[in-house]
Amino acid sequence: MTPLNSPRAKVPLVLLLFLVVELTVLDHLRVFGAGPDVMLLLAVVAGIIGGPRVGALFGFAAGIVLDLFLETPMGLSALVFCIVGYAVGNIQGGVLRAAWWIPVVTTFVASVAGVLLYALVATVVGQPGLVTPHLFVIAAVVGIFNALAAPIALRLVRWALSGMEPERAYA
Amino acid sequence: MAVYRRSTRHRFLLVLLVLTSITVITVDVRGGGGGAMESIRRGARDAFAPVQSAADDVINPVGDFFGGLFRYGHLKAENARLRNQLNAMKGKVNASTDAERERAEFAALNKLSFADNLPAVAARVVATSPSNFQETVEIDRGLPAGIQKGMPVVTGAGLVGKVVAVSQQRATILLLTDPSFNVGIRLSSSGDVGVARGNGTREPLPVDLVDVGTKVTGGEVVVTSGLQGSVFPPSIPVGKVRSAKVQPGSLQQEVTIDPLVDLNRLDFVKVLLWQPSSSPP
Repeated sequence: MTPLNSPRAKVPLVLLLFLVVELTVLDHLRVFGAGPDVMLLLAVVAGIIGGPRVGALFGFAAGIVLDLFLETPMGLSALVFCIVGYAVGNIQGGVLRAAWWIPVVTTFVASVAGVLLYALVATVVGQPGLVTPHLFVIAAVVGIFNALAAPIALRLVRWALSGMEPERAYA
Repeated sequence: MAVYRRSTRHRFLLVLLVLTSITVITVDVRGGGGGAMESIRRGARDAFAPVQSAADDVINPVGDFFGGLFRYGHLKAENARLRNQLNAMKGKVNASTDAERERAEFAALNKLSFADNLPAVAARVVATSPSNFQETVEIDRGLPAGIQKGMPVVTGAGLVGKVVAVSQQRATILLLTDPSFNVGIRLSSSGDVGVARGNGTREPLPVDLVDVGTKVTGGEVVVTSGLQGSVFPPSIPVGKVRSAKVQPGSLQQEVTIDPLVDLNRLDFVKVLLWQPSSSPP
């Protein structure tokens, strides 16, 4: 029996919340033909708070759930998001008491990198017409939106992970 | 030492997840869109449909408000344009009554309006694409309405796209501006054929394989060619020619077309219950 306030119950709840936002609210937030990507945001924020392990796991879970609703090959977002979550965790995960703006800047950079990586991997897998000048517009829009939403996402993920036992040293 | 071991363990997890993703991608791509992945996706979409509808009911008024803010200038200009149009139309109404009767007779005689002999299902667009990398919309009808993968989707103005995924309650439509979209077209004045392909949101569609000698006029309507093996029935209007030029030494004309349908404001669409196999040329 899983208690309701353990991460095991809260993490899926946050994942579902982000999915609902991604699939419904974001329809209406389009600028220059591009919208935010909160599933990517979830991977980034999880990496910031929980380190590489949590970042990679969150990224994979968020990506595979999002892939269910896309026409691009299944697993593509999962691949990209878990790499992004892992990388962010490695760079940022160790910083415990950062200034408030550091996660925001990290989110911007990581989101831009995530979009570019996605387009790159998708092109390798055979999706046509993604690497165009418009790609940089998309990356910038996603980066800015995600950076703006980062403070809220950080709180949600911190809440979801609260109560998680600290990572063991495996030594 | 402990730190070193920990990072090795993390790296192992990353490699595991990456390999899993690549396996899933491979299974999906090689599987040709059928099988297990397909049914998992269908299940997920059906399960999510009620959540989406409920959330949309809450969000739509707010979203329209913000959408209006972003497009304020556009809406204002459109308002002025529509007023002008209305005035012009008022003047034309009397004159057009007679022409309308003639047109109706003519259409009845020649069956000019496209695809009127095909069964169709009307549906409402309930969502746009959740990704920045695909041009799709979702409609609120699915398998029970007879919709199948590959069926063409139109509005009164012309071609919208084709169905690429269907579940019990939803169908996903690939818009003709998506980079992976191709359609065989015929130029209405010369009858020459070519292939138009999507080029991203709000970008005109380039047309390949149009002969250098063909005379292409700006604003001319192009329709689906419906040649054998085509994925669309013939004579559905696709777009209007935006530009046409011949580069020296080129073997084909550089023709671009604009879609006839305003793809940013789809509300109701019709799915034509037509499949390439069901009506051989």
